Amino acid sequence: MKPPLAPILEARAVAKSFGAVQALRDVSFAVAPGEVRGICGENGAGKSTLIKILTGVHQSDRGTIVIDGAERRIEGPLHAQALGIAFVSQELSIAPHLSVEDNIWLGHRDVPLLHRRRALRQRAREVLELVGLRHLAVDVRASTLSLGERQLLEIARMLVRNARVLILDEPTATLSDREIAQVFATLRRLKQQGRTIIFITHRLAEIFEICDSVTVLRNGYEVGSYATSEVDRTGLIEAMLGRPLEQMYPQAPSTAGGPALVVRDLHIPGSVRSLSFVVPQGCIACLVGQIGSGATEAVRALAGLVYTARGEASVGGRPLRFGSVPKALARNVRFVSEERAAEGVFLNLSVRENLLATQLDTLGAGGWMSRQRLTAAAGRLAGMVGIDGRRLRSRTRELSGGNQQKVAVGRSVTSHGTGVLLMNEPTRGVDVGARAEIYVLMRRLCNQGYAILMTSADIEEVVGMSDIVVTMYRGAKVAEYAGDAIDRTRVLSDIIQQQTAMAGTA
Amino acid sequence: MEIARERGAGAAATGPRSEWIVRIGTGFPIRFAGLSILLVLAVITPGFTAAPSLLSLINTGSLIGCVAVGMTFITLSGNIMSFSLGATTGVAAIVCAALSGFGAVPALASAIAVAIVVSAAQGFIIGYFRANPIIVSIAALALIHGAAEFATGSKTIYAAENVLDFLKAKVGGIPLAGLVFLASVVVGQVIQSYTQFGQRVMMVGSNLRAAIAAGVQTWRTVTAVYALAGLFAGLAGILIAGRYGAGTMEYGEGYDYSAIAGVLVGGTAIAGGEGSVSRSFFGVVVIASVTVMLLLRGFETEYQYLFIGLIVLAAVLLQGRLRA
Repeated sequence: MKPPLAPILEARAVAKSFGAVQALRDVSFAVAPGEVRGICGENGAGKSTLIKILTGVHQSDRGTIVIDGAERRIEGPLHAQALGIAFVSQELSIAPHLSVEDNIWLGHRDVPLLHRRRALRQRAREVLELVGLRHLAVDVRASTLSLGERQLLEIARMLVRNARVLILDEPTATLSDREIAQVFATLRRLKQQGRTIIFITHRLAEIFEICDSVTVLRNGYEVGSYATSEVDRTGLIEAMLGRPLEQMYPQAPSTAGGPALVVRDLHIPGSVRSLSFVVPQGCIACLVGQIGSGATEAVRALAGLVYTARGEASVGGRPLRFGSVPKALARNVRFVSEERAAEGVFLNLSVRENLLATQLDTLGAGGWMSRQRLTAAAGRLAGMVGIDGRRLRSRTRELSGGNQQKVAVGRSVTSHGTGVLLMNEPTRGVDVGARAEIYVLMRRLCNQGYAILMTSADIEEVVGMSDIVVTMYRGAKVAEYAGDAIDRTRVLSDIIQQQTAMAGTA
Repeated sequence: MEIARERGAGAAATGPRSEWIVRIGTGFPIRFAGLSILLVLAVITPGFTAAPSLLSLINTGSLIGCVAVGMTFITLSGNIMSFSLGATTGVAAIVCAALSGFGAVPALASAIAVAIVVSAAQGFIIGYFRANPIIVSIAALALIHGAAEFATGSKTIYAAENVLDFLKAKVGGIPLAGLVFLASVVVGQVIQSYTQFGQRVMMVGSNLRAAIAAGVQTWRTVTAVYALAGLFAGLAGILIAGRYGAGTMEYGEGYDYSAIAGVLVGGTAIAGGEGSVSRSFFGVVVIASVTVMLLLRGFETEYQYLFIGLIVLAAVLLQGRLRA
């Protein structure tokens, strides 16, 4: 696709290798002023490498970067900023103890030593207005801002540096729907001003919502660049995968068993009020709600991670006590965390150690642990969840997000016939290919007799995977849907509560 | 092969280049190269290969080494280091000397028991209340010193005659202390590699929150880690009491520093979750050899402290660089 205007930023046949690994192979790519360009591809496709070359973090081995028609060598991130290319990383670099204004100007080279000047403040107000944060006082501490506001503040920071090209790395991954809408509104305003936005996301729906065009990378190659009007979702996924997509969401079998997990009157001070629901054996239930709805916390409570949780729960008819992970494990209630790096896996430990982390007692009697059994058991689990057996001794840090998530799920696979698998955001930061594998794995566990309770911010995933959906708003259950009654629009309106006439137990 | 992950903490931290340095830095080639250089330096140091020097090397190294085995578990569990293990060693030596009148077995058993209790109490405070391990160990250091001064009236406690002499024995020409050290390394490594406890230590040290989510009762693990460290420090204390026929707090001084130096030089990560007891063995051999070499070349004790301080700084800086 040829951009209509002369490109503002262009990469020509850029290649980069790290040791023996060819991360980018002759990727060319051009964006025009006022264009919103999505970049997608599986983990390891080369998205990060491309961005790092554009922002001067890495230098390309071959190829050139062209800015405003002139060939440029980008020396480093600061040089990129000076050239008008700004990167908004997913891990925000906001200083929480400083004011909004100080954060905007932090590290800016035009700030004089005595910097409380009217002009700076005025400029800060302007950029805040531009990103839709007009309501914010400039001297309020950044720590009081919501995640979405911080993301916008980060964009504002780049705007005072006169960024003409904004590169956003998964800006929506941790935001609620309302915050995402806010960010998107800002992006549209910036686009109207003629600024260029490069947008990396795993969520395909967002590509179609906000982007004019999309570049697909695979294994370091550029598969192609398409106008979003010319390509559909399936086409995009197939371009990313490099093969036809059979079906994203596996068929649900119609064999729901008796109640596996019964929760009655779950209370968590500050986040959940009298939540009750039942998950039958072999079914996938999903608690859906925005940040602050209590959905995530409810699942964490069942995992034994919330000490203040009160109420009753039973697994297979036997009572489940809250506040103790070992007690939950004793009922074979297993948890896959929404924060994979911080809580889900041990990045420094090997894949095999990770796979057996909750099942050490099966590796030997009397507190002993047989390395042989460890390797054998891990090999079996790796085979079941689709991890290459040769990677068992690799450090988990070296795996892609998708493979790390398979490790986290693999840890929950046991020989027990029944159990409850709790999954917060089962595919956050997981690429399309691995995502489909994880869905298949979830269904397989259901067939084995597990019940799955999950949460997800991805509404397509919710509708695609769930047999039961429980919608939540501000700590209380709004409604419950099963089977064909699960409807995208109803679920969305439940959790956003824009209409007041909702059925519910609030 | 994913060379660059798209998200998650540390994505930027593990660039391929730093991975390469890490592999070289922690790899066996460099460790053996370092050891060979040290060996050459040692051999050309006049008098190093003479029996008295080697005996001194084994004795010094063994005492540091026992403490280092315990320290390794503390470091692996993510609690960095303890400043109180040297004092624990001193207390064990005092108890051992003081109770030697009742016979060797009660004296040794009590010394070890006291060391375990003193250390495990810190472990409980650190594990259960999530207290800062460094601060707790410094507080414990002060408490132990205060209590010992009070109990002994700042006097050296002498052991009953000949009761502890068997600790100075040699088996096949090797001092008992050296054998105790070797046994400690073997036992420590077996605990680390072949017990569920050892695996939990690695989990807790690698990622505390993930360990909690995986059902590890972390306070138990941490308490046990410190109890184990107390046990090994207690062993060192007994050996000291045997060597000098007496016990005083002064005897324990500096062992924690030398031990942490050995642990870090061996290549156990200061952040926890990575490393091993056997690596610390190498580290201790290096530290002890350097100490003896410095002595033989006529440097005073203060130079040893200087040198150990530099080694610890270098190890920490190197690890920080590899992680950055």
